[in-house]
Amino acid sequence: MKVRVLGGAGLVLVLAFGPSSACFAEDQETKHLTAQVCATCHGTHGISTSPAFPNLAGQKAVYIETQLKGFKDHSRGDPGAMAFMWGMSSQLGDETIKQLAVHYAGLTPARGTPADKTLVAKGKQIYDEGIAEGGIPACAACHGPNADGNENIPRLAGQHAPYLVKQLAYFKSLQRGNAPVMHAVGEKMTLDQMEAVAAYVASK
Amino acid sequence: MFVTTFRKAVALAAAGAGLVALLLSATSAHAVPSFARQTGLACEACHTVFPELTPFGRKFKLNGYLIDNLPQVKGVTPDNKEALALNWMPPLSVQFIGSYTRTKTAQPDVTTGGGFSGDSQDGTVQFPEAFSLFYAGRIAPKVGGFIQVTYDNQDNTFGWDNTDIRFADQAMLKDNPLTYGVTFNNAPTVQDPWNSTPAWRYPFSQTSSVMPTPIASTQLDGLGNDKVAGLGAYVLWNNLVYAELTAYAPAPHGLGGNPLNSAFPDATVHGIAPYWRIAVEPQWGQQSFSFGAYGINDQLVPGGVNVTVGPYDKFRDTAIDAQYQFIGDDHIFSAQTTYIWEKQTLNATLPADPSQTLKTFRIGGSYFYQRKLGGSLGYFSTTGSANDIYACPTPDPTATQAAPCSANNSPNSKGYALELDYLPWQNVKLAVQYVVFTQFNGQSTYLLQAPDGSQMTRNASANNTLYIFGWLAF
Repeated sequence: MKVRVLGGAGLVLVLAFGPSSACFAEDQETKHLTAQVCATCHGTHGISTSPAFPNLAGQKAVYIETQLKGFKDHSRGDPGAMAFMWGMSSQLGDETIKQLAVHYAGLTPARGTPADKTLVAKGKQIYDEGIAEGGIPACAACHGPNADGNENIPRLAGQHAPYLVKQLAYFKSLQRGNAPVMHAVGEKMTLDQMEAVAAYVASK
Repeated sequence: MFVTTFRKAVALAAAGAGLVALLLSATSAHAVPSFARQTGLACEACHTVFPELTPFGRKFKLNGYLIDNLPQVKGVTPDNKEALALNWMPPLSVQFIGSYTRTKTAQPDVTTGGGFSGDSQDGTVQFPEAFSLFYAGRIAPKVGGFIQVTYDNQDNTFGWDNTDIRFADQAMLKDNPLTYGVTFNNAPTVQDPWNSTPAWRYPFSQTSSVMPTPIASTQLDGLGNDKVAGLGAYVLWNNLVYAELTAYAPAPHGLGGNPLNSAFPDATVHGIAPYWRIAVEPQWGQQSFSFGAYGINDQLVPGGVNVTVGPYDKFRDTAIDAQYQFIGDDHIFSAQTTYIWEKQTLNATLPADPSQTLKTFRIGGSYFYQRKLGGSLGYFSTTGSANDIYACPTPDPTATQAAPCSANNSPNSKGYALELDYLPWQNVKLAVQYVVFTQFNGQSTYLLQAPDGSQMTRNASANNTLYIFGWLAF
């Protein structure tokens, strides 16, 4: 038995039991999916060209796994998820989902994208300290001081800013339904605040 | 089926039609809900608005239409290699187009074998104008296809339409993805993933099948999908650089020669016609810009398939094209253009003066709001050297319709097109289109010749066409 131990929040163990044809087939399927299917939108190395699709490289494995399962059982139903990921996840088995998550978690994350300094500074303040009078908590409390996430809390650093703004808007409108904590945060944020905080974490 | 057709108007319009639509072939096609059924993806994944492809749609096509999210009937070899992968449900779909067409001025009527006899009634309702059945999706583990059969109201028959069956696979080349494949298709550019080339031209992918259309068109515009069969190979490197080489052989349907266009009736392709294509498409953020070149060399046998010896008419088409897309959540803007330069050596049709040229230029742009409301604007022209091919032919007393021809032997035709669209749902389009001709078969006027040889002059603008259509795909 081989045991591969991967870093990140919580140790994710992928067990490959000898030359079992079922596991071999899973590995092959994961390779096929990442190279020929996922890569179409998310990039060959998990870094996408279009902000319509999130970067996956370096994302937390537990988070990816949760989202894929959310797509599959339709508990995550924002427009982008519905148009793309409901179909894409529909035939994925639990083991394949786990392998996909580990694969992307192990890739080198995207580098930050510079943005307007004033906007980034405003975003940093919201990210680090929140907005007390608006009831918006500091993002850093959950996503970490470096925005690199923790287990089921996603990495935000280096993510596409327009994608993040869109997700915050989906939380606010309750269209993205599998994140009750973010509903509470999103509903209090204005578009300007969303853009600022997105610009900041995208620049990291 | 209910059809109201004003016979003479349609017949006269059809006389000018052939395969030479400046804007489009009569039975234009679209990508289809078969793919949505197979992939589980909404139409918007692959299309801005039908039939324009998004960058994802282009990759889906070049990767062989293979993404599949349906339960499979599978088979493996003893060494665990995939031998069969069939969708449990075949990816089938239907397209239906109903329309109303009216020209600015009614077409003149003729008596059979005689002269002109007043105007025909204007306004044509076609229900359906076209009806298509598709198999579109995965066929085998690395083989997929887009196969279309279309009912054409004008012919009252089902005919073979766009077909592209391809093998595709991927590899890594210096840490970058390389898609490679083989395509088996039935018209140049049917296999192309960009909407700037003729087969899937956009905007104005759909025009009326009874709109009067000019005599002249280039081979790239006119080598329709009931004339040739092509086998080609292609590569896409790093989702950036595309190259393709395809060989087309004659594959006429039926025993007789099929008209390639009304300037070369009954002609069929002789030998092999090589087609080539290169393109580069940088993408950044929500934008993409492609630019490229393509071309074909072919020889036509004017007498049809039964003639196997020369002389032949030779054509060398060289074209450039470009496309820009901005695809936002609310706003979508795209623009396409192409310029085709055709060198003709008409040893068979015009041996006394064989060297001729024909040039086609198209440019158009479209805007859509939330993929629901939008519009398009476009300009088109085909110009070239004047010669006897475009002059009025020897009168045919047995003809039942007037023949359009050029008063100054020129092929020049130019005009504009405008379209407004409403898509209440992603697979339903309601549109109003108006096509303006500033020149038609030579200049701002052209000739119509009755079966008895009498001629009348008609303004190009008389052919300005209002086209109202509804398009459904399900």
